[in-house]
Amino acid sequence: MRGAKSAKWVAGAAVVALAATACGGGDGDSKGKGGSSGGVISMEIGEPQNLLVPSNTYETEGGQVIHALFTGLTKLNEKSEVVNDLAQAVETKDSKVWTIKLKPGYTFHNGEAVTAKSFIDAWNYGANQDNAQQTNPLFSHIQGYKDLNPGPKKKVATKEMSGLKAVDDNTLQVTLDAPFSAFPAQLSFSAFSPLPKVFFNDPKGFGEAPIGNGPFKMSGKFQHDEKISVVKYDKYPEASKIEVKGVDFKIYSNLDTAYKDLLANNIDFHIAIPDSALATYKKDLDNRVIDTADSSVGFIGFPLKYNEAFKKPELRKALSMAIDRKTIADKIFQGARTPADDFISPIIQGYRKGACGDACNYDPAKAKALFQQAGGLPNNTLEIGYNADGGHKGWVEAVANMLQQNLGIKVTAKPFEKFQAILNDLDAKKYQGAFRMAWNMDYPDMENYLRPIFSKDAIENGSNYAGYVNEDFEKLLVEGDKAPSKDEAIKKYQAADDILAKDMPYIPVYFYKLNAGFSSKIKSISVAGHNVLWDTVKLS
Amino acid sequence: MGRFVVRRILQAIPVLIGVTFLIFYLVFALKGDPIQALAGEKRADPNVAAMLREQYHLNDPKIVQYWHYITGVFTGDLGTTYTGRPISEIVSERFPVTLKLALTAFGIEAVLGITAGIFAALKKGKFIDNLVLISTLVLISIPVFVLGSVLQLELGVKVGITPVAGIDDGWPNSYILPAFVLASTSMAYIARLTRASMMESIRADYVRTAIAKGLPRRRVIGIHTLRNSLIPVVTFLGMDLGALMGGAIITERLFNLPGIGGQLAKSVYLRERPVVVGLVTLLVLIYLVANLVVDLLYAVLDPRIRYE
Repeated sequence: MRGAKSAKWVAGAAVVALAATACGGGDGDSKGKGGSSGGVISMEIGEPQNLLVPSNTYETEGGQVIHALFTGLTKLNEKSEVVNDLAQAVETKDSKVWTIKLKPGYTFHNGEAVTAKSFIDAWNYGANQDNAQQTNPLFSHIQGYKDLNPGPKKKVATKEMSGLKAVDDNTLQVTLDAPFSAFPAQLSFSAFSPLPKVFFNDPKGFGEAPIGNGPFKMSGKFQHDEKISVVKYDKYPEASKIEVKGVDFKIYSNLDTAYKDLLANNIDFHIAIPDSALATYKKDLDNRVIDTADSSVGFIGFPLKYNEAFKKPELRKALSMAIDRKTIADKIFQGARTPADDFISPIIQGYRKGACGDACNYDPAKAKALFQQAGGLPNNTLEIGYNADGGHKGWVEAVANMLQQNLGIKVTAKPFEKFQAILNDLDAKKYQGAFRMAWNMDYPDMENYLRPIFSKDAIENGSNYAGYVNEDFEKLLVEGDKAPSKDEAIKKYQAADDILAKDMPYIPVYFYKLNAGFSSKIKSISVAGHNVLWDTVKLS
Repeated sequence: MGRFVVRRILQAIPVLIGVTFLIFYLVFALKGDPIQALAGEKRADPNVAAMLREQYHLNDPKIVQYWHYITGVFTGDLGTTYTGRPISEIVSERFPVTLKLALTAFGIEAVLGITAGIFAALKKGKFIDNLVLISTLVLISIPVFVLGSVLQLELGVKVGITPVAGIDDGWPNSYILPAFVLASTSMAYIARLTRASMMESIRADYVRTAIAKGLPRRRVIGIHTLRNSLIPVVTFLGMDLGALMGGAIITERLFNLPGIGGQLAKSVYLRERPVVVGLVTLLVLIYLVANLVVDLLYAVLDPRIRYE
């Protein structure tokens, strides 16, 4: 391998020379230069947590690869709208029975045709508790899910969900337990990808070299902790729209190192610029950057279920008003966050600027008055817990200082080893203080920002760590689920969102931003919901 | 000699068993549920989590879990991670990377360190001696990650003569810079140790005799002085090999080398007990072997030392 680098250089020079002589026949779009690796770009990711199986991938790093290898029924487009992808039409009359028509012509990378059954088999596998797939709960809306999940130590009687039916090869009918208007949005999550027949013979082997139906296919195997290489799949129906010939996902354990590799032109796309480079990355990269809203929201929460001290909504509102969100976003995060003014991320349809109202506006005088009116806190002290492993120390301490100054109480930032430690203490009702937390969507719908963190059901099965319960909120969620159109659903969910703004079970503090950078090899690139939209990537 | 080696190897067996149990217990004592760790800040689905706990025997008492593990080890099965990857696969992928890194570092520190030490001792008080003393002082006082980051940025990003990170370029290109960074502190110690030890033996009677006999200077320095001065250096080097293997976490992370150090850190974080135990046991084995080799080398360096 000794001469690998120089060999690459020679090959690169050859490509450039060829391009220079063959400039006559090129079409308008591709200038044919392609840099040193002929249209192949490399991108930074972290080591995927699990083997590359769509239903077992519930994190962004593996998700990025799955997204390149698989095409689902719907997708998120550049404007963060949910649009059909492999589906020709997704229709319903009552948001309960969904008829999905597939576009013909899609095949798996081994040549097998993608049919309605490819989806049904994949979802039945993902929902079956015996397979213990990470995304298992996402299938819970489908009728028959409970039969596949009788609970630990109980035998699964059937292998199929009764709600899934293949009307013909290209028509899939899905019956849900109850109306759920966010279903098309949910379908855009990669867990709902189809799987080829070979998967079921050897899921483990499949996970090392998955056979998908997406624009790229695996080139070789998953090289753990090193890289995953994919090349363009020529039989992909929309292959002509994709300029990139292949992608090397290079695996980094350290974002700073990846950033140095980007500066040295060793990688072409870095989706998560490290904090240490945020102040300089736009200049370092001559503005070859993406600086846009991402899908996560950062909160400060309270153990409402057992600590009476936080019971009054006015008190939580007062705490919220005493936080100077702008300073945190601009000074501490150097613009990598924006002040939160809603419980919903700005990339989601239904987000309203300023929905949180006065409660999220910085007003120390009013905050103090409200705080005293609400009776203050016992002993005039407050603890804010944070996990020390996630870079949260800075902003949590800043919030503590702001509250201390503005409300005249003693506030301390309390480190926990990791988030799980906070969670354990909350479950054991041991920890009395406030705590930080963040939420990232699974699928792009308002509902996904409400039910999994604020609903009654999420206390046991989701991330409602506060233990917040509000019956009106529950009712509006169900009404939103039942709504016959997307617009009406949004209205109901917004009404639910308004209840949160009034109750302040969590204080929304900031919205995350996506800060990415790319090399001069890339002309433009778009990202939606943290996934690269490969058809938007133009090379220079 | 043969009996000594056999005795030492037999002694290693209880040490290994004790160590695996101790490590298993310690990793166990760390709070935290590995299954929840997989879900990050979201709550793991209770049903799926229960299935996984069952699958990986996490509900059993510690001693039963240890039994599952150790019986597996004796039948050649190191177990799997909680995401289903065989640990033997991880070891076989990661170990060569760390081994290459550690041996390269070992070579660098042995050759450069001993050479610098010899020259410094021979030219005591001269320019070269001062140069060695000052440069080693600098190396010892710079933390590894600072030295690594600076060299990475200057040589890798700005000048571009070394790869910034990763092992794409293979050995030696991808390993030289990280190995140098990893070796830097020990190299400085070795230079100083060799210098001090040399200066002591160079004043010894047998060296004066050798010179008086008219032996060539090369032989006096190379055999009579150096060989006798190397015992403390070899001891240090032997210990250091183990430290290089296990202590490369920072270097591996900085240079994105997929070795054992990074895996160990990740596994401790994720509470993947079988992985931690497997890797640490391996490191203990390396320590034991390195120690044995050091002991045997004593006899080579100093004929007065005999093992029965």
